[in-house]
Amino acid sequence: MENTGNLQKELFAYVKENTFKEIKSLTSDTMLFVEGIFDSMGFVLLLDFLEENYQIVTDDEDLIEENFESIDAITAFVLRKNSTVVQ
Amino acid sequence: MSTPAFHKDILKIDDVEKLVEKITDRLRKDVTGKLRRYGGVIGISGGIDSSVTMALAVRALGAENILGVMMPEKDSSPDSRELANNLANQFKVQTIVEDITGALDGYKCYERRDQAVKDIIPEYDPSSHKMKIGIKQSNPGSKLPPVFHLTVVKPDGSEIIKRLPTKQMRTIIAASNFKQRARMSFLYYHAERMHYAVIGTPNKHEVEQGFFVKFGDGGSDVFPIGKLYKTQVYQVAEYLDIPREIIERVPTTDTYSAEQTQEEFFYQFPFEQLDLLWYGYENNHNPAEVGKVLDMTGEVISMIYRNFERKSDTTSYLRMQAINDYDFI
Repeated sequence: MENTGNLQKELFAYVKENTFKEIKSLTSDTMLFVEGIFDSMGFVLLLDFLEENYQIVTDDEDLIEENFESIDAITAFVLRKNSTVVQ
Repeated sequence: MSTPAFHKDILKIDDVEKLVEKITDRLRKDVTGKLRRYGGVIGISGGIDSSVTMALAVRALGAENILGVMMPEKDSSPDSRELANNLANQFKVQTIVEDITGALDGYKCYERRDQAVKDIIPEYDPSSHKMKIGIKQSNPGSKLPPVFHLTVVKPDGSEIIKRLPTKQMRTIIAASNFKQRARMSFLYYHAERMHYAVIGTPNKHEVEQGFFVKFGDGGSDVFPIGKLYKTQVYQVAEYLDIPREIIERVPTTDTYSAEQTQEEFFYQFPFEQLDLLWYGYENNHNPAEVGKVLDMTGEVISMIYRNFERKSDTTSYLRMQAINDYDFI
């Protein structure tokens, strides 16, 4: 299973590489969509990235802000999804 | 000047006749003076926007100087052609039919699109199934952008719906955009052979929210209704005596084989609500004040404003001309 620290590091790298916005400060609780770091295309690309790299499947009911609004939220979501798969 | 209080009739045009006069006067000057063309070519689809645009152009330039071009393809609704024909007859406008199916086959528009659909829904059979893509209704106050879903409709009416991954979403949209770009080519063909201007049909939402194809339906010389909200387009339509069946028709994209409203594809709100929301956003009306009129909380309105801002930013590329200020010598 994915280690929280590594996962966060990978997500930080992904966000920095894939935003068109010049990010002045990015923390794990930065609101990615409210701050305009990702737009609608950024969101679908993020979903593809998570599905391809962490072997998770996102269902329609998963597409809520609590799961994707920040790196903290995405980390928790991926870990939760992974643990569901393991069980 | 102070901003007027927000109310539900704030977009109602007080004097439609005067507005129509202003638009037609300006259109005449633009086409003959600025663009230096003898008349106008308009793609007519039987939709409200192209119908109003054509009626305005007739008033501005005279029916004898307008050409209506109908450009159906194999996924078009058969109603479109009949409605466009009736409209042209009423306004005594000459029409030409250019079926773009062959051009689209040449571009492999259908083949590329159908392959992307099959990647997601392998049982899709374009000969008997219909398809569409659209935004699935989400909470209007959500901080997350909406995502596109693909729907395949089987002959018995049952549907298979899947969320679209990026690659297939972009391929389906890019392939479908051949339709608007093929239409633009035909409009310019006729415009050039007659020394006419291409008169575009997008309304204010389409222009400002980016609901148009760059160099497709966005490729025109002038947008006479580009500053009108949708409810205002309907008000002008009533004044211009546009056929009732066009006014009452639900606006569709007429792009995919399955029926699809514009609300479902892109806007997410009925036009009456969308107009007021966009007006409130554009004129910095207090979210709580707007919320009271629209029966929503101020918090939800704030999020809708933010989503509008994001939509406007995301689509600004569509409204840009080629960047040409490389003055380094």
